[in-house]
Amino acid sequence: MTFDPRPMDLLPALDYWLRTVGGIALIVLLTSLMSVGVSHRGAAIKLFGGESVGCLKDLISLSPRRVWAVAKLTFMEAYRRKALAVFVIFALLFMFAGWFMGGETGEITPDHVTVYVSFVLRTISWLTLPLVLVLSSFGIPEDIRLRSIHTVVTKPARRLEIVLGRVLGFSLVGTLVLGVMSVVGWLWIVRQIPSELLVCRVPVYGSLEFRDRSGNPAAAGVNTGDIWEFRSYIEGATKARAIWTFSNISERSLDSEGNLHLENEFLAFRSYKGDMKRSLLYDYQLINKKTGQSYTLPARPVNENRSAKDVVPRKLVDDAQKKEYDLIKDFVTDGKLTVEVSCIDREQYLGMARPDLFIRMPDLGFESGYFKAVLGIEILMVLVVLLAVTGSTFLKGPIAALLTAVILILGGKDCHEFMDQLVLGRTSATEGFRGGGFFESVYRIVTHMNPTTELPQNPAFTIMKYTDGFLTDFLWLDKQVIPRLEFFNMAEYVSKGFDVPFDSSLLPSLMILLGYFIPCVLLGYFALRIRELESK
Amino acid sequence: MNNLTSQQRKLAYLCGILVLLVPIIMLGLPSDGKSAGGTLAQLRSKYELGESDLGDVDPSSAAMNLVLLGMRGVAVNLLYNEFEKQKNTKQWFEMQATTESIVRLQPHFEKVWDMNGHNLAYNTSAEWDAVPDRYHWVKEGGKFLMRGVRRNRKSTHLQYFVANVYQKKIGTADESKFYRAYFLHDPEPKFKGGVDPDFNPDELDNYLVAKREYQKATTIEDTEHRPQHILDRSLFRSMPARCQFDYAMALHKDGKFGEEAREAWADALNDWTKKFGHETLTVPVGPLGTDVKFNIRLEMTRDDVRREVASPDDVARVAKAVEDYRKMVNYYYWTTRGLCESEKKTSEAHRNLYEANQFYSKQELEKAEEAALAGITGFDGILKQPEFSDLKSEDTLVEECLLAIKVWKHIHELADKPVPPDYPLKWLEAEHQGNLQYASNVQRAFKRLFLDER
Repeated sequence: MTFDPRPMDLLPALDYWLRTVGGIALIVLLTSLMSVGVSHRGAAIKLFGGESVGCLKDLISLSPRRVWAVAKLTFMEAYRRKALAVFVIFALLFMFAGWFMGGETGEITPDHVTVYVSFVLRTISWLTLPLVLVLSSFGIPEDIRLRSIHTVVTKPARRLEIVLGRVLGFSLVGTLVLGVMSVVGWLWIVRQIPSELLVCRVPVYGSLEFRDRSGNPAAAGVNTGDIWEFRSYIEGATKARAIWTFSNISERSLDSEGNLHLENEFLAFRSYKGDMKRSLLYDYQLINKKTGQSYTLPARPVNENRSAKDVVPRKLVDDAQKKEYDLIKDFVTDGKLTVEVSCIDREQYLGMARPDLFIRMPDLGFESGYFKAVLGIEILMVLVVLLAVTGSTFLKGPIAALLTAVILILGGKDCHEFMDQLVLGRTSATEGFRGGGFFESVYRIVTHMNPTTELPQNPAFTIMKYTDGFLTDFLWLDKQVIPRLEFFNMAEYVSKGFDVPFDSSLLPSLMILLGYFIPCVLLGYFALRIRELESK
Repeated sequence: MNNLTSQQRKLAYLCGILVLLVPIIMLGLPSDGKSAGGTLAQLRSKYELGESDLGDVDPSSAAMNLVLLGMRGVAVNLLYNEFEKQKNTKQWFEMQATTESIVRLQPHFEKVWDMNGHNLAYNTSAEWDAVPDRYHWVKEGGKFLMRGVRRNRKSTHLQYFVANVYQKKIGTADESKFYRAYFLHDPEPKFKGGVDPDFNPDELDNYLVAKREYQKATTIEDTEHRPQHILDRSLFRSMPARCQFDYAMALHKDGKFGEEAREAWADALNDWTKKFGHETLTVPVGPLGTDVKFNIRLEMTRDDVRREVASPDDVARVAKAVEDYRKMVNYYYWTTRGLCESEKKTSEAHRNLYEANQFYSKQELEKAEEAALAGITGFDGILKQPEFSDLKSEDTLVEECLLAIKVWKHIHELADKPVPPDYPLKWLEAEHQGNLQYASNVQRAFKRLFLDER
């Protein structure tokens, strides 16, 4: 597994949003008031009040009929601009996709499914997003340039309705394109890949804690030399354990025959070759923390880089002690089931991360996960439209397109991680971020100074550090308004055979869209309200 | 501004286009089989730069490069970033797909094929735990390099690396025992216990396939005049014969000591002395700083040198060069080994040592003692022959004999019998008494006979 889905916590997110949007709104209001105060002096309050009342009136008298009319107009415009020609590129890509995939023999194994599904979803998003980005960025600026906007603003349509209508219209164009492409893509996948390879697993994840080789609690297992610190390892034949706790476990977690399905993707690391004829072994121990009762399941071989499915029967028989246990009654307390994993082989290691062990619920149809991933692209597309239309209300077309593209690039996971490193001043919990801020980095690069060397102590460098601190704070502020787009990438779940989780992917995506919708529409409205429409 | 009408201007543009088309067509006219074509086609043909001259034509690769216009370098950079990320996060199949995209963009960049083939066969395979999985990735790497050769038929380097996978990765990896077996009986169910036809179409031993692939590399070097820069040429040209030696040794390891093994050794000796020994090597013979070169053969006698070289000074220099190159490739040792192993008594001695180990593993101690004694007695006689004296310091053979002595002594210990004061190969044991490397290897091999597989 390469992803670690974490459910979204709504309340802190809402609190954070309110504070950010409120703060920005306050800054905008105060700045506007000050600028009106400077330009109109005595009449400033009256003018500001009048404008505010006008805005409120616009908000109250919003007409869905007029919004819809602008949306229809936008749709027709896009159609006449031959936006649907994107289907030609799409068709070409799919006609020749087989050339680039499936290796030399073109044979499709379970391991190739990931590549095929990712290709389809990536192609769809790479074609639809630039299309809507360009269309939305140029819509309003073109209207202003051709003066056709006058035919709209002189009618009863209000500026807010124009912004909303544009957003809705471009979203509809994108939705049409996305809808057709996703259905064709789905048909292509179904035709190319045997149906038994297309799965949509529904996992229930737990929380994970580690015990070190002496049995003491540890923050993580051992690092066996991987650059990627996602997984950590437990040592075999010691007291090292990985302990998962699953919540909300009841009889509903079992299948119709009363079995619990555990699935894992543990990795093996050998400190010596050992018996190469067999894989390393692990076992599960079910623990009841209240009663101290435990039951160890038979050892099983690791199925590295693929998943190993283990069926735990409800009736557990302990032959040695001649006892019988009931999985739910004896091991689930307060809806919680604790599973301890240990490595059997001496001086060998098993690697694991939180999502590497889960309870597998009955599978859904592949189309369920696939179309949820398409919904993820749709939400992202609407966000792009929103940002581009907002940008186009105060910028010219190409600049608005550039702005939106930059926001999209900066919104990626890698960029956010990099900004986090810069803002927090460290690369990980233990390692500091070397090289300093903007000016310090420039100084070090120009003078070939090693990042580990301390800067000289003098007033010039002190000023430089303070300036860097100020710039870093500014970056922190910028970072808050750049959306985190990692949640929108749902293709990874589907391509790896999982359902798209609602609480850790769909919900955050929807919330981000909603979070941007309100300030963006308001910003677009105010920008269009104060913009000189005669100016091209 | 001019006074031309719109139509006149269009006609003028058309004429301009037609005039410019003439030299373009003349320069770029493709060859139709009868005529040589335009200047560009002729130059392409002269320097063999056409896609079909370099190797198989891949339409997808050409299409990708065309679509990217001049952005190929940028695209490759992005793909390598992606590749690195996928490698670090163990997304092996995604990484393989990225590799495919990279080679489509750079199909004639040999290092790309080399690096990615090596990555699949050596690095990726080592990341998997189950040996059949590891073997799958070794095959993927080998097949990838073979495709590289098909796309770059004139690449001596890539052909060498293909052979290298067959010889080194399958033959000498820690898992070589399994890999060699899988090479003839693939573990993937779809091959139903047979070979993977894409990897071993002729159902041969891996060393014999490696030999054939090395021979192809030497042929490319000769016919295409594309020298390799991996090894000294003397070592490079010795590879086919070395593979034959490896094959003969592998037969012994597999417990085959009959006619098949002796023939393999005889073939190896023949390849070594009759083929490789007569290869012409152009080597520097002058004093340092000069560029005097002579053609030598490792089978050259002093008389041959005298016949072919005029000045007496040069005779001495060339003779020294022949001697130096023989030392570099271990020429005498392999000749002696080939001669020795082709003999029936050597084969018998090996068989006895092998059987001693097998009996000992099964704790059939009487049979093991008998076989060990017969084996060490056999080698005692062989190694005392002056023509085979070089073998007294040959690592594999010495360790094989020392292990047999250890087994034989241990059986005495177990049976509470005193070890006779004099026994065969006692002198060899005494000779290598202080060699810690031998002691450690023998101890490890001894443990493997019946303890664990560490």
